[in-house]
Amino acid sequence: MNKAYLGEFEELVLTMVGILGEEAYGNAVVEEIEKQLEREVNLSAVHVTLYRLEDKGLVKSEMGGATSTRGGRRKRYFAITNAGLSLLRDLQENRIKLWKLLPDLKFSNL
Amino acid sequence: MNQPDPPKRAIRFLEWFCPPALAEGILGDLYEAFDQDVERMGVKSARRRFTWNVIRFFRPGIILRNNYSLTFFNNNMWSNYLKIAGRNLVKRKMYTVINAVGLSIGIAFCMLIFLFIRDERSFDKFHSKSASIYRVEEKSYDTWDRDAEQPYFYSAWLQTGLRDAIIEDIPQVKYATRYSGSNNVVVQYESKVFSEPLTFADPDFFSIFDFKSLSGNRDTYLSEKHDIVLTRSIAEKIFGSDDPLDRQLTITLNGENLQVTVTGVIEDAPANSSLDYGMIVRQENRPYFERNLSNWQSFNTPTFVELYENADPDDLAPGLDGIVEKYMAESIARDKEEYNIAEDVEMLTYHLTNLEDIHLDTDISWTRSSDPQHTYVLGGLALLILVIACINYISLALTSSAGRRNEVGIRKAIGARRSQLITQFSVEAVLLALLSLIISIVLVYLFLPNFNDFTGKGIELDPTTVLVMTGTGLLVAGFIGLLSGSYPSLYLSGLNPISVLKRLSGRVKAGFTRPLVVLQFAMSGLLIICSLIMLRQMNFLTSKNLGYKQDQVVVMNTNMGYNEQSSRIIETLRQTLTQFPEIEAVSGTSTSFNQGWSRNGYTIDGEQKSAYVYAVDHEYIPTLGIELKEGRNFTALDSNMVIVNEALVRDMGWENPLDEYLNWHEDSLSQGSKVIGVVQDYHFLSLEQQIEPMLLQNKTEAYAHLTTALIRIGSDNIPAAMDIVEQNWKKIAPDKPFDYSFLDEDVARQYEQYKRWTNIMTLATGFAILISCLGLFGLAGINAVNKTKEIGIRKVMGAESWNIFVMMNKQFILLALVSFVLAAPLSWWLMRKWLESFSYSIEIGWDVFALSIVIGLVVALLTVSYHSVRATLINPAETLKYE
Repeated sequence: MNKAYLGEFEELVLTMVGILGEEAYGNAVVEEIEKQLEREVNLSAVHVTLYRLEDKGLVKSEMGGATSTRGGRRKRYFAITNAGLSLLRDLQENRIKLWKLLPDLKFSNL
Repeated sequence: MNQPDPPKRAIRFLEWFCPPALAEGILGDLYEAFDQDVERMGVKSARRRFTWNVIRFFRPGIILRNNYSLTFFNNNMWSNYLKIAGRNLVKRKMYTVINAVGLSIGIAFCMLIFLFIRDERSFDKFHSKSASIYRVEEKSYDTWDRDAEQPYFYSAWLQTGLRDAIIEDIPQVKYATRYSGSNNVVVQYESKVFSEPLTFADPDFFSIFDFKSLSGNRDTYLSEKHDIVLTRSIAEKIFGSDDPLDRQLTITLNGENLQVTVTGVIEDAPANSSLDYGMIVRQENRPYFERNLSNWQSFNTPTFVELYENADPDDLAPGLDGIVEKYMAESIARDKEEYNIAEDVEMLTYHLTNLEDIHLDTDISWTRSSDPQHTYVLGGLALLILVIACINYISLALTSSAGRRNEVGIRKAIGARRSQLITQFSVEAVLLALLSLIISIVLVYLFLPNFNDFTGKGIELDPTTVLVMTGTGLLVAGFIGLLSGSYPSLYLSGLNPISVLKRLSGRVKAGFTRPLVVLQFAMSGLLIICSLIMLRQMNFLTSKNLGYKQDQVVVMNTNMGYNEQSSRIIETLRQTLTQFPEIEAVSGTSTSFNQGWSRNGYTIDGEQKSAYVYAVDHEYIPTLGIELKEGRNFTALDSNMVIVNEALVRDMGWENPLDEYLNWHEDSLSQGSKVIGVVQDYHFLSLEQQIEPMLLQNKTEAYAHLTTALIRIGSDNIPAAMDIVEQNWKKIAPDKPFDYSFLDEDVARQYEQYKRWTNIMTLATGFAILISCLGLFGLAGINAVNKTKEIGIRKVMGAESWNIFVMMNKQFILLALVSFVLAAPLSWWLMRKWLESFSYSIEIGWDVFALSIVIGLVVALLTVSYHSVRATLINPAETLKYE
């Protein structure tokens, strides 16, 4: 069976959802990416990616409780699913496997 | 702490395009980011970033998550708008009717104008090769009327020999045909006599143009000199249901009989064809053809050419110049010398005009050409009526808005946004406009025959036309619906719900209605003044003393051509008819009124002069009651004498005209014709023209043939007299049709076009008045309702009915007066322009304006009075009992 393909950004967002655990919603993901990788990403891009991941069944979402901040709007929390987790794990294993096949060139040209 | 808010507009935008399920989460995140931004970089930048972020969300990944596209609109609200709009239309029947009548007339006018323009533009486009068909034209130096500003003269009438020269010398030309005349000639088939139009053309005519063949072999049409091709209607008239092919007809051309054989039948010329042909025979049959063929001084027939597909008409110029050089170099040199024209002046050049452009070409006169200005005038009228109708809608909606205010207040209080209210009111307006559209289509069906009459068109409602017309109507309806709905909806939706619901403001101040009513009345006033002036001018034209008696005169063409025989038969007719007491006099002339003219140019003492020339007999002046100023009338025995008009005497500068001779036909042997009398100037041309020098001549050899009899009827029993004329004519000339008209009708026909425009103007004015009165009626009604209590109180306090009546009508009278003051200068200017086209016209006096104001006021008063009288008569106890 072919594994679902994930783009770089999708993988990043999926990972972040995993990292954030219970606290994963749009803005949190943006901030986490900024914090961990010092990379500026746009909120709309994150949202669109989250919905796409949800379509693929890699994350699931539900609305949180009412808040007084955020203009009274509730948060949409995302959580990584088992499928998402195992996909991440597969990706990681594959990467390590490939990494090991790389010849020892790491420092030669630097 | 006062939290800064992100821009509302951006939020609304997001909510509009974002699927509702996602909107909350996204918005929350945006809010959060916004709050952080506020702390980091201030409110302004934060708001900007918020908007920018929202815009970044407007991407396929979000938008396409909408389940179905209709969520772009709010379905429930739309059905609600429609329902409310429908209910309102039904509830307020009077306004609905007033508005629908106005709008539907306006839309119907627009559709008719659209049909008119479409027809104008469709002229001659039905030929498959119309793009490569051209009319040849001359641009020649005008030696007759020398005018430094317009030294050139343009005409489509060319030499007979030109067609052959073009075929011979210009390789780009594929086909060429002369095309002349559609005058009626006498046609005989067995014992039946008809008078039908005859056209002279070349066989190429059928290769160039697409007029449809119905029978016969198109390739051999007119291959023999004595072949004839009939149109469908003429063939049906002559042969009925018989097959016309190969039958023999006799046509009379210039007094000579010609046997022709029918070789084909083609469809009649469509109404949008510039070529309006009759029966077609070869050019070679045209009278004087041989003589004209070699005469390059005589311009007598239009010529059409078809170029090869890839030929550029501009490339023909050298070839055409070559023809001028080849055939006319000598005569041009002679003219230049004779008239003292500078060497470098181009005396004559040929030009080409594409067939499709002929119809709207105003430089060159052509039978069916038309002035593009007509389109503008009609369009302007339609626009005026439409605007008047729109104003009705706006002012009625505003003035009656009191009743809608509670609805607006409640809708707003329960959360309707302003844009929703605007949509709701616009839906109402558009719905009404669509309703009007249906009525207007019916109106177009009903009025199209009249419209065709007025404009001289033959527009038919075939399915495509109806489709296109409905499309236009739909556009117009939608547009005016939105336009007239926009102001009321902006106004109503802007009401403050709190003050409305708490009834803080008593009366709605819709101040803008007054200027609108003034504008509307000014437009109606403009139309009233214009049509009054036009009617007066028409009345002036038809009742002006022309200097001769035009009633009870029968004009009868002998149909014998221009020759001695025709003159003799008029003499015979006179001898026969004058025996009857019913016939007062019979005279003959070469040209009757409004049947053309002939003008002779002659040089006297080195000076170029010209005069209109009429051949007449000795009965002419008494028959028409023309007044002789000096000298005497012709006698039956006179010959080679002239009677001139006063204008000619002035032109020649004669002191004693009766001592003079006038060499008007440049006779080199004698001193010309003796002047035996001077007639008072009379209008032998239409009143568009000044009275020019003219002479009546009698029995000058080869110039004095009479073609038309003028028969004055003495008794009031015209049918009986006509019977006598007909029976005797049948005896005298059994092979000629009894082809007559009445002189006064002929003369009136000169002004047909003006009459037509006056009719259109009057019709438009009628509709404009009707629509504005309906509007005024509605306004007055609302006004009366608004003032019911005031009137009640005034009456209780002792006001007379009369005072109240004045109070109710005062403002409308004032508005009407202001409007007329505005309309007067514009209409004065417009009408002065129009009157300039006549040499004889009325003065625009103050009385026209006074009369228009009176008409306007009376109509306005009558309209509003119904309501004011009702309001005045109502018992105050009725209106005040609820207080």
